[in-house]
Amino acid sequence: MSVKGQDVDLTRAKQNTGVWLVKVPKYLSQQWAKASGGEVGKLKIGKAQGKTVVSFNLNEELTVVECSGEKVSSVRTPREHPFAIQAVGGQTLAVFTESPDKVALEGMVVHRAECRPAVTESYMKLKKLQIEESTKPLRLSQRLDKAVTTNYKPVSNHSHSVEYEKKKKEEGKRARADKQKVLEMLFSAFEKHQYYNIKDLVDITKQPVIYLKEILREIGVYNSKGPHKSTWELKPEYRHYEEGQEDEEKLE
Amino acid sequence: MTSLGSSSSSTTEYVVRVPKNTSKKYNIMAFNSGDKVSCSTWTQARMERDMSNRRIYGEEESTDGAGGSEFGKKQREEARRKKYGIITKEFKAEDQPWILKVNGKAGRRFKGLKKGGITENASYYIFTQCADGAFEAFPVHAWYNFTPQAKHRTLTAEEAEEEWGRRNKVVNHFSIMLQRRLREQERGEEDEEEGEKGGKKKKKKGGRGGDLRIHDLENDLEISSDESDESMGEDGEGKAKTKKDKGPKGKGKKKKNSDLEGFEDSDDGDFEGLEVDYMSDESSSEEEEPEKTKPNKGEDVPKGIDEMSDSEEESEEENKNEEEAKEEEEEEDGKKTPVQVEKKKKKDSSGESESSEDSDIEGEAASALFMVKKRTPPKRGGGRGSVGSSRTGSRPGTPSIDNAATSNTLRAAANKLEQGKRQTVVSSSETPAAKRLKMDPSPQSSSGKSTPQPVSGKSTPSSSDVQLTEDAVRRYLIRKPMTTKDLLKKFQTKRTGLSSEQTVNVLAQILKRLNPERKNINEKMHFYLTE
Repeated sequence: MSVKGQDVDLTRAKQNTGVWLVKVPKYLSQQWAKASGGEVGKLKIGKAQGKTVVSFNLNEELTVVECSGEKVSSVRTPREHPFAIQAVGGQTLAVFTESPDKVALEGMVVHRAECRPAVTESYMKLKKLQIEESTKPLRLSQRLDKAVTTNYKPVSNHSHSVEYEKKKKEEGKRARADKQKVLEMLFSAFEKHQYYNIKDLVDITKQPVIYLKEILREIGVYNSKGPHKSTWELKPEYRHYEEGQEDEEKLE
Repeated sequence: MTSLGSSSSSTTEYVVRVPKNTSKKYNIMAFNSGDKVSCSTWTQARMERDMSNRRIYGEEESTDGAGGSEFGKKQREEARRKKYGIITKEFKAEDQPWILKVNGKAGRRFKGLKKGGITENASYYIFTQCADGAFEAFPVHAWYNFTPQAKHRTLTAEEAEEEWGRRNKVVNHFSIMLQRRLREQERGEEDEEEGEKGGKKKKKKGGRGGDLRIHDLENDLEISSDESDESMGEDGEGKAKTKKDKGPKGKGKKKKNSDLEGFEDSDDGDFEGLEVDYMSDESSSEEEEPEKTKPNKGEDVPKGIDEMSDSEEESEEENKNEEEAKEEEEEEDGKKTPVQVEKKKKKDSSGESESSEDSDIEGEAASALFMVKKRTPPKRGGGRGSVGSSRTGSRPGTPSIDNAATSNTLRAAANKLEQGKRQTVVSSSETPAAKRLKMDPSPQSSSGKSTPQPVSGKSTPSSSDVQLTEDAVRRYLIRKPMTTKDLLKKFQTKRTGLSSEQTVNVLAQILKRLNPERKNINEKMHFYLTE
């Protein structure tokens, strides 16, 4: 994602560009997202009695609100949005951008502002709509006419257990293979992992449990305690793992 | 331009654009105004994500392949997590903090933590004015609060607790950090030179660390800081030297000299007067020889008494080394004087381990932690060399006989000890308590390989109270019949310093030699001897 340790482009920071940080209501940013050409409205900056008055006017075409449900285009967002300018103090805010290949410092924030909608009828209606939408529960309870009877029917033998039994029959009972072969299988298994459950070993070797246990008792040891509980592992003289701890070598 | 009706007001209109297609994401970098950050003063800045949390989230993959792994461990862990509903949050690089470095190495560092929830209810936009007078509004993607990171040294939690305990005694608070810094330098030098000055630095460490302190206590207290800071210090000697040069402010320096009697500014020859811990490493004994000359060359010559005590200690160490060597060759136990018993025992394994390590790794630093760290390479090398079989896919047909293995290790260890003996004349004088504590784990760790368990009837003592010797076994068997299990219980691994496998082997050999009589009691085979 981001390149590590990149130099920050400080060119714009050097110019001491001042920017404004403006808090904008959600519906307005939604409308702005719909703007095609890029222009969303006009900003009016003026002075009245010594104070700076800033106001934002939304473009006409963007005031149409898309709403789900019945009321189509009967509600419009307000157009006038006076800005409430605040001081930045207490924090030094800077703006930096992150692009896929670089990080650049864009400037410092000189003014903070809140974009407030002018309180009009249309705004009230819009708000009402929003509230209605938000109070709708996510889940609805529906009443059914007929009870559902199709889900759980009693069955003499479930399909998956039929398959399971068939599979078992196929496999048949496990036959004792030649001891040497079993030892070979065991050793190759223990080369991959150090600790094995008896069940897993039975799976791997396909031997009856008792027979396998006998063989295991010869070459392995059962861990009844410790971190690898109830697992089998090879006896120390048979192991030769490449760990820092276990370094017992076997002598043939 | 439209003008409103009221007087003294004029408004200008600007077009506001919201550009659509920028790949640039705008973020806010917030500083506390108290930090007095001015971006215009920055000549150079670097930013990167702080990925140090990755290992917490990305569950460590441990032990792939043979040793120590279980079959199906991953699936089992996953099933377990599902069962208990443990959901681990994934590691998102997007949400990681930023690290901002301004003006290079000497400049400031900041850490920027993401502030959550800013885009939930309202959107922030950045309004910038373009050349054509129009405004462009960019949505803010994230907000990061940047805080400056301290460049000055701070105390760790343990050290802070320590200092808190001393607050009534310590008058000069400036020297606290100074001494800590010096301690770190020394440790860093150790790392670098691999113990060339290891012993001395340890002594030095013991010496500093508090203004009005008794030596012993001081040394004891510094253990924790030693160990905690052990891993520190790539600082080369040069850096340490420069720090020393400019480091202490006038006050601190004077205080240092006045308070720490007998210690000078130079590295050389410091702290020779410190009491020695007999558990000290012999590994530094190798470097002690060149080291010995250095103290004498020190700028401010240590006081006479210090030298004397130093040589005393050295001669003691010498004696111990020789005795150690003798022990290797002969039967043990009876010869040791009670005073030296404990020391020797503790030294034995450490000595052996170190002498073996000496041959493997030159000039090791005089600390158990180094021993522990570097234990593995020599162990592996030694083990392989001694037994001589390579790790292949071949399967073990029959269990290996311990005789061969242990005799090989015995031979190897004996050789190494010879070398060690030749090299070692004296060992460093260490801070007593620190070394003692550090040595404690070492017998356990090193005994696994370095302490050879001789097959041929000699049993080497290991550092503990109970030793697995023929005499001991004989004594037990004379008193009453015992099963092998009982015997094993008597020689617990924790006390003999041997691993359970070795204990078993050695016990088996001893029993063979003794050839005790057998009796079946309660269906269990008991051994006993009649005097």
